[in-house]
Amino acid sequence: MKSILKTFAAALVAASALTAVTAATATVASAETVLRLDEVAVGELDPGKASDYADSILMFNVYDTLVIPNQGAPGHQGHLAESWTADGNAFTFKLRPGVKFHSGNPLTAEDVVFSLDRMKALGSGLSYLFEIVDKAEAVDEGTVKITLKSAYSPFVASLVRLPIVDKKLVMANLGAGDGEMKDWGQAFLSGNDAGSGAYKVTSHNPQQETVMAKNADYFLGAGAKAPDTVRLRYGLEAATVRTLIAQGEHDISSQWLPPEVLKSLAGDGAQLLTESGTSGFYIKMNTTKAPLDDVECRLALANAFDYDAGIKMVAINDTVSQGKPSTGAILVGMLGANPAEMANKRDLDAAKAHLAKCKYKPEDINLELSWIGEVPLEERFALLMQANFAEIGVKSEIKKLPWALFSEQVSKPENTPNISQLFVSSVTGDPDTLLYGMYHSSAKGTWQSPEYLQDAEVDKYLDEGRTATDDAGRGAAYSALNKRLVEIAPSIYAYDQVAVFAASKRVSVPALTDPAKAFNLSGFGFTFRLMEMNE
Amino acid sequence: MRRTFSILLRNPLSLLGLILVSAVVLSAVFADFIAPFPLHRGAVVDFANFNKPPEWPYIFGTDLVGRDLFSRILYAYRISLILGVVVLAIAVPIGVAIGLFAGYLGGWTEYVLMRITDVFLSIPPLVLAMSMMGLLEPTLTNGMIAVTAMWWPWYTRLVYNLARSEKEEGYVLAAEVIGASKLHVMFREILPNCVPSILTKMTLDLGFVILIASSLSFLGLGVQPPTPDLGSMVADGAKYLPDSWWLTVFPGLAILVAVFGFNLIGDALREILGAEQ
Amino acid sequence: MPPVLRLLAKRLGTSLIVLIGVSLLIFAIARVIPGDPARIALGPNATAEAIAALRERLHLDDPFVLQYGYFLADLARGDLGISLYTNRPVTRDIADYLPATLELVIVSGIMMVALGLPLGVLSARYRGSWIDHVVRMVTLLGVSAPSFVWAVILMLVFAFYLPLFPIAGRISDSYTISSVTGFLLVDTLIAGDVKAFGNAAWHIVLPAFALALSGIAQAARLTRSNMVETYERPYIEMAKSYGFPEKRIAWRYAFKPSLIPSMTIIGLDFAAMLGNAFLVEAVFAWPGLSRYGVAVILRKDLNAIVGTVLIISAMFLIVNVIVDLLIAFINPRIRYSQRAS
Repeated sequence: MKSILKTFAAALVAASALTAVTAATATVASAETVLRLDEVAVGELDPGKASDYADSILMFNVYDTLVIPNQGAPGHQGHLAESWTADGNAFTFKLRPGVKFHSGNPLTAEDVVFSLDRMKALGSGLSYLFEIVDKAEAVDEGTVKITLKSAYSPFVASLVRLPIVDKKLVMANLGAGDGEMKDWGQAFLSGNDAGSGAYKVTSHNPQQETVMAKNADYFLGAGAKAPDTVRLRYGLEAATVRTLIAQGEHDISSQWLPPEVLKSLAGDGAQLLTESGTSGFYIKMNTTKAPLDDVECRLALANAFDYDAGIKMVAINDTVSQGKPSTGAILVGMLGANPAEMANKRDLDAAKAHLAKCKYKPEDINLELSWIGEVPLEERFALLMQANFAEIGVKSEIKKLPWALFSEQVSKPENTPNISQLFVSSVTGDPDTLLYGMYHSSAKGTWQSPEYLQDAEVDKYLDEGRTATDDAGRGAAYSALNKRLVEIAPSIYAYDQVAVFAASKRVSVPALTDPAKAFNLSGFGFTFRLMEMNE
Repeated sequence: MRRTFSILLRNPLSLLGLILVSAVVLSAVFADFIAPFPLHRGAVVDFANFNKPPEWPYIFGTDLVGRDLFSRILYAYRISLILGVVVLAIAVPIGVAIGLFAGYLGGWTEYVLMRITDVFLSIPPLVLAMSMMGLLEPTLTNGMIAVTAMWWPWYTRLVYNLARSEKEEGYVLAAEVIGASKLHVMFREILPNCVPSILTKMTLDLGFVILIASSLSFLGLGVQPPTPDLGSMVADGAKYLPDSWWLTVFPGLAILVAVFGFNLIGDALREILGAEQ
Repeated sequence: MPPVLRLLAKRLGTSLIVLIGVSLLIFAIARVIPGDPARIALGPNATAEAIAALRERLHLDDPFVLQYGYFLADLARGDLGISLYTNRPVTRDIADYLPATLELVIVSGIMMVALGLPLGVLSARYRGSWIDHVVRMVTLLGVSAPSFVWAVILMLVFAFYLPLFPIAGRISDSYTISSVTGFLLVDTLIAGDVKAFGNAAWHIVLPAFALALSGIAQAARLTRSNMVETYERPYIEMAKSYGFPEKRIAWRYAFKPSLIPSMTIIGLDFAAMLGNAFLVEAVFAWPGLSRYGVAVILRKDLNAIVGTVLIISAMFLIVNVIVDLLIAFINPRIRYSQRAS
């Protein structure tokens, strides 16, 4: 008995001694600068499969693309491509000479062709952007010719999502698989870096953390004040991030923190970084099922929704909010968008008038308001809608759907809930990649298009946006589209999303603080070489 | 029974347990009358009063859409208690019967029954319940099914071990010698001797079922919003720590109070029933 | 063959049968989960052809028995397939994440036994005294809240308000330890880096304690009530009347027999810990298998679900074999009955 107690006491003493030792050694100073940030798991390192925010951050830093978005302006500029010419459906790119991969291999036209072929063969991530490509050929070492199956004017903008991989390195590391290309290097690229970007991967664990080091030989030069090491952590809890930042153990949060947490961090002296104009919050109505197959009922709901309350709900303080007023289907600042002054407003009288014209009686309506289980913020919007719609006499039921179940249900119109809530972004910065997948009748029934919209006029404008060659023509098509989408209200355009990140004062991120240096592409603000460490 | 009860009343710890459990049960039953904001159990929004720290009339503060936490906790108790009682009412008879058969009969019966039990016991309880809840739609009934599926083997294992050591005790051998039937021996001789352990475990388990259900809710696999649920309140609130502490602390304490109450009684019961033998 | 080995062989044999049962059960559950795993894996924008191709590669359209056959054939080669969630072989994911979880659970298990049993003995030995009451109150409270609530409370108090312990992770960023066993507490010692060992130990204290708390309480409660019960048995009275020393009675006649039910429960608690670990792992950003397990269940990643559950179950069965062997040593009756059968 006594001896047990003694052992226990000894163990306690030993444990506390250890604590003392480690506490003393925890403050080892290092000259190199480290940037620590977090995102939701998983970090997909294979650039051909990159789709979400974490994947995009990895891809934009480890790999290079032919073009990159303009800074502080819409549109794009050459990056790996020095220049290009368009001839009908064929594009010819001149590559910048002297670019080397991390492996030391030179980056050539062969690599571009390989990357495009690989992207198409994998068929996952954002590869659908390149389905339009008929073939890619290496004309010579520094020239690539890409031919499209049909006219697609925003094609060059799509190239911001085509990371160039090191063909030689991948071919030397093919894993098991059928056919000539075996697994297309999937096993290798899921854990290794075959890029040329400003950062090299030093270790990667998709659930835990990716560590990257600055590439001293980067062709644009390594930013002197850019972080030497970047640690991208995955799957941290909100309370953990909040504490780590307050204690100086973390630098940039993900955008998925709830507004209240961002508010507390800002109150403790953290800076708020923002990215806007790339995605919107859409409340989508199933246009194939009663009662929302009647446009009057849809318009009633769109007018009953309290837009201001919604934006207040995601406000962090008086100046920063996770949402900006929406003016229609197209995000403010994008081609074809309405100006910011035309913000959507609640109009209860109009709502009641539309409801009176609807062929369904309000007392017979019981709407199914769904929210995605992984996005708790949507529950609050479901509750807001329920209260708003009750004011015009429309009853509703709230239903929580996990993402997996939701994406299964939307594949059939009859299973798709009356109302779904989604954050949708333009993956290339062009309105085409924002709208085509949501509203073209050929794209109905995906997670983006639970409206099942079937409207000839909408289809016509969307197709015009793809084929018109000059910006003026495209702009006109998108303006007309926007007008039509407001008239037939397949969705409630709740707000234009602003991604807000809390950050320590150790780091400056001009691209996410200064509108003149912002990029019109979701995730591109996290280009580490453009960040500056302040110590 | 009356004696047991009066002993419970005399011990300060078990008295505390009785008080806590009565308070929980009463507030669940009479939530409609006690709750200051009975409507807040459902989908109500009051953005003017959202995320308020405890202050009158919101003694436990309000949640992120402005609902009174105190009212919601009272209604959440109702759900938790129903779940606990139903799960045990199904799981215990099944588990005990299988345990008795396996422990007393031995041979092939024991082998087959215990291997099946082992299969269920070899999957960590939460993982098993999660897989089940992933399969079923997350509703209260399905939550009960999932928790029941993971609960019965614990009783099988407990009774099995007891029965195995009891069956070599003198009184069992005596009953066998005078020709008692196997069923008689199992249910009349061995089972009464297992009752103290089973009862103790059941009182404790009423609390633990609430715990497990809250863990399931933590994963989003429990009762669905807007129905109030202690587990999901803790889980959702944890995102807002340490600033909006009341969102987590009060539902967490509510779980603690209920489970603590059942544990105190279970503990005392064990003493009393053990002493009576 | 000595009886111990025979018992061991028998136990391992049944464990294997149970494991096959587990694989069948979890394989069946994983296949009936709603949601098309191929669609989820390929992402929202995948083409119908790509989904069909993946479904074929995963044999998802074959009859269940055939699917299970493919699975067993792969398993025999040590192949658990590719995770659709991380795009890596499941075996590699498990090798990456299992050591962190095992380290956490083992440290918790040690805490559970090292703190729980002495507390229970102490409480039983001084039954009715203030020591007993304090221990009972504390252990009752410990067992009365879920581990994630304790994890959050410990983190708030000891990492946020009083920053005594680190808030997340297994080791500070400044240490790079080459992985030999995957157990940082072992690897740091292999590397001979005492400071790193201290740092890793410093990181594991809070999560392990949060995970162990209910186990500690349960072990103490059970030990206490079993000892109290055995104290009242006639043979203890007899030993007392023979004038056996108090210490010997407490240890040999009261503690040892009362260990049997405690150990059975401790074995089962270990299983609960493997499951509960993820609740704690999530709070402390502990890069373990439980977090991975939850993520793959939510994403219907069939191969990874089956692999993870199988591994966790195998761990649990191994612990149980050990517990059974220990019980056989302590309780001669069961040892003899095993020998006879």
